[in-house]
Amino acid sequence: MPKHITRLLMLIGGALVLALVVRWFVIPDSFHRFGHFRANSVIEIAAKERVFQGSAYCSTCHADRHAQWSASNHKSVNCETCHGAAKGHPENGKLPIPTDTVALCTLCHEAMPGRPQTQPQIVVASHGADQQCKTCHNAHAPKIAAGPVKIEGDVAAGRKLATAECASCHGAKGISPNDTWPNLAGQNAAYFVRITSAYKSGDQQDVMMTPLAKALSDQDIRNLAVYYAELSCAEGASTRVDRTAVEAGKSLAKNCAACHGETGIGSNPAWPNFAGQKAGYLINVMKAFRGGLRKDPMMAGVVRGLSDTDINNLAAYYAAQPCQPTKR
Amino acid sequence: MSTDTLPSVDARRKFLGKLGLVAAGCAGASLASGTLGAFAPKANAATGPVEVFPSKDYDWTKHKWAFGVDANKCIGCLRCVEACKTENSVPGNPHQFRTWVERYVYLEGETHAHIDSHQDPVNIAASGAPNKYRFANRYQNTKVEKAFFVPKLCNQCENPACVQVCPVGATYQTKDGVVLIDEKHCIGCRYCIQACPYGARYFNEERGAPDKCNWCYHRITRGLQPACVDACPVGARVFGNMQERESPISLFIRNNRVQVLRPEMGNSPKVFYVGIDKEVS
Amino acid sequence: METHAHWAQYTGWVFPNETIIDWTVLLAVYPYLTGLVAGAFTVSSLYQVFGFERLRPVAHLALLTSLSCMLFVPLPLLLHLGQPLNAMNAMITPHLTSAMAMFGFFATFYVVLLMLELWFAYRPFIVEQAQKRTDLLGKVYKLLTLGSYDVSERALAIDKKWVFWLAVIGIPGAHGLHGYVGFLFGSLKSREWWSSDLMPVIFLFSAIISGVSLLIVLYVVTCKLRRVEIDLACLKGMAYTVWAFIMVAFVLEWLEFANIVYKGREGVDMIMEFVTGPLLVPYFVLQFGIGAALPMLWLTYMIWRGTTGRALVVGVTTSASLVLFSVFMMRWNVVIGGQQLSKTGRGLVFYDLPFWGQEGALVAILLTIAPLVVLWILTKVFPPWDDSHGHHGSDGHSHGTPGLAAAH
Repeated sequence: MPKHITRLLMLIGGALVLALVVRWFVIPDSFHRFGHFRANSVIEIAAKERVFQGSAYCSTCHADRHAQWSASNHKSVNCETCHGAAKGHPENGKLPIPTDTVALCTLCHEAMPGRPQTQPQIVVASHGADQQCKTCHNAHAPKIAAGPVKIEGDVAAGRKLATAECASCHGAKGISPNDTWPNLAGQNAAYFVRITSAYKSGDQQDVMMTPLAKALSDQDIRNLAVYYAELSCAEGASTRVDRTAVEAGKSLAKNCAACHGETGIGSNPAWPNFAGQKAGYLINVMKAFRGGLRKDPMMAGVVRGLSDTDINNLAAYYAAQPCQPTKR
Repeated sequence: MSTDTLPSVDARRKFLGKLGLVAAGCAGASLASGTLGAFAPKANAATGPVEVFPSKDYDWTKHKWAFGVDANKCIGCLRCVEACKTENSVPGNPHQFRTWVERYVYLEGETHAHIDSHQDPVNIAASGAPNKYRFANRYQNTKVEKAFFVPKLCNQCENPACVQVCPVGATYQTKDGVVLIDEKHCIGCRYCIQACPYGARYFNEERGAPDKCNWCYHRITRGLQPACVDACPVGARVFGNMQERESPISLFIRNNRVQVLRPEMGNSPKVFYVGIDKEVS
Repeated sequence: METHAHWAQYTGWVFPNETIIDWTVLLAVYPYLTGLVAGAFTVSSLYQVFGFERLRPVAHLALLTSLSCMLFVPLPLLLHLGQPLNAMNAMITPHLTSAMAMFGFFATFYVVLLMLELWFAYRPFIVEQAQKRTDLLGKVYKLLTLGSYDVSERALAIDKKWVFWLAVIGIPGAHGLHGYVGFLFGSLKSREWWSSDLMPVIFLFSAIISGVSLLIVLYVVTCKLRRVEIDLACLKGMAYTVWAFIMVAFVLEWLEFANIVYKGREGVDMIMEFVTGPLLVPYFVLQFGIGAALPMLWLTYMIWRGTTGRALVVGVTTSASLVLFSVFMMRWNVVIGGQQLSKTGRGLVFYDLPFWGQEGALVAILLTIAPLVVLWILTKVFPPWDDSHGHHGSDGHSHGTPGLAAAH
């Protein structure tokens, strides 16, 4: 073979050998161990630190909150979903407590086509309007407690008791003679039971109502509740109607509609209806909630930002609404 | 040129022959050592004794992972999408996802679904920030006949097209059934992104390599669940070990009529769907 | 965090990860260049292996053109890679199931083959120059001789054999090289626009016509620059080649499109909307119409009428230029067009070609021009000109063309 051919072949052969040698040095150690990949890459990926720590991690310091949450409807919503990943917490400081709950809660709870009906969802505009969700709902126990819904009682016994004990202030037919004491006619029985029981137990305190409620038995309360629930509230409205106040109150009332309905007739029997209720009574009650004399964390939150004028307007609005016909 | 005094032809031939033998020997030796070296199991400092891989607490031969999606349950809250981005440092923009949710809406009188997801400008506007995701309630005032949400993620196929086309072995299938990406070895050619029929991969410019869901491999190898499964408030995402008969995924597959996306592609995906519809692919 | 990704506009429904075109214009330039490589080599092989004597004037130019283009083939890929420093992984740990990995080996094999063929073809010239010159270039030639100045009859006969067999092996080499590029696209089931058994063949035939057309243009231009008379027989020979292959390419491309339409698989509605919409001009007007049908008809006319002289030169050169343009459009329509069709089959993504930037139009243009610059340099070092028009000297070698012995 001519010289140049042999030299060429040796050149090529040498280059091949060199390439193989270089490859042998350069190929990553763990390659081909389990297949055509770098086995150490699996180790590297598996060794990555996790970011989300899991809700159990939170319970070490936030035991009470964790207990409350894990007994609630939100137990399927992990802490870090709303508060952010807990990696580096508490060393790096606090985790955010969401302030814009309208933005946060509506992510799951805004009524949207495509959401299965099993998901609790609301039309935001008519539920609480511009209020923050946390005003009424505790994110760690979001379901709002309702009292007993169906009240069993003796109407006749209730009538007897009412005429004897209650009519002097609340009227013979449950329509109050003045602006300060509330109408009871047509009120939700469940709410009646709840509030009267609260006076009886001391959860609520009122100079007049407390001793009267304490004198009642639980059955008495139930009998009264069913009796009053059946009465007609039609004649109960205040006579004075201030149109401007009513208008002003109407726009404020949007914030109350979620629980109390657009006109003060609500969906939950555990909460009072007050369409057509005495305006003066409503004003006093709202001020009592605002001042903490009447205890309800939800109501306190709702009325906290109301001015006296707001309260007057709201009262005027509800007082001017037609109350619903007799119901049980 | 020529005519210099050269050894005889015979001598030259012998010399060349010897040279050739040496060259062949070198080639053979390096080939042999190279291939042997590649196949011999190496005791690696990171793992110690070789038996259990990838770590002493986790044996990948004892697991065969699979994923389930119940589209009947999904509420489209997108907590899973955000959780994944947090857990896996996915770029915070609405165009690159390891997992995402699609919304299908059939309006009254129409035969085809309106489909949208997070890159839709309307949804981007509703979300408020590039790394926050939300479906705009754009159909609330229309007559909707049928609507549902479908979460999507990498299907970790049994016959992954992406692994087949990778020129360097930078993406591969593990023994526990997950397809991983070795960013250090990747050249960034993006052939795998082209090959995936499901759009599961995206290219991360900063790292110069593609990225995709890996079922939070760093979590599942520690007995945890993928971040998206934990984040879902309604249990639309299910995960587990198919080798265990009573694992959530085994129960899910056994108790439901499940299907996969694009079975005709032949990839044998391992994400099983319940409650999807004719137009979902 | 700001990245340099440019999110693409889209219509209809596309996957969230699809709002970007991953393979840019550079991935259209790359098959274009490999196509020129294969096509140019075909011209050389037609002479070396199949004895098309009339192509002698361009035989060496073809080899040099093939090499110049081949040298630039890796560049668009390297500029596109996310981690170019890892590029050698494709040779160190090639995944044998990947068309891209196999392409690396074909490319390496082919470039070595090409350099060998050129070396053997130019050996007498190299030896002569090594002995004559004393400048730097002379040192380069000396290196290339590998220390052997043997240009005896026997050595040259062996060289001739090497050239022949290298050319023979080079045919599947060059065509396999470009066929693999076609297979790279055609083997993907994820994109309806790419997935086709015909893709490697289509790429190959369009590659051949692009390479031959380039040679036509180069030959005419260099003749004009060197003020040498154009060998009309040679020109016509190349024209015949283009004519024959363009008909096949045309049929194949139409066949592929017809298949998609006829089979009507899922996503065909979107494809029809696409080709009658955004792709109408690039596909039907530019690629098929002006770029293929027009040159085909023109060449047919010239062949039928026996056109010769200046009319032939103008006609053939213009047709060749149109073909060059059409083949680039074909690469563009396949690579970019394929990515514009969403994997959902229900949406379109739009590609915004930037002028500047690592993967912009400027870089694409420079990459396409660069091989010509290198070719110019190579023609100085290895002159391919055959000015003797086949005239043989008394020593049995033709004058002018270094080392260009008759093929048979």
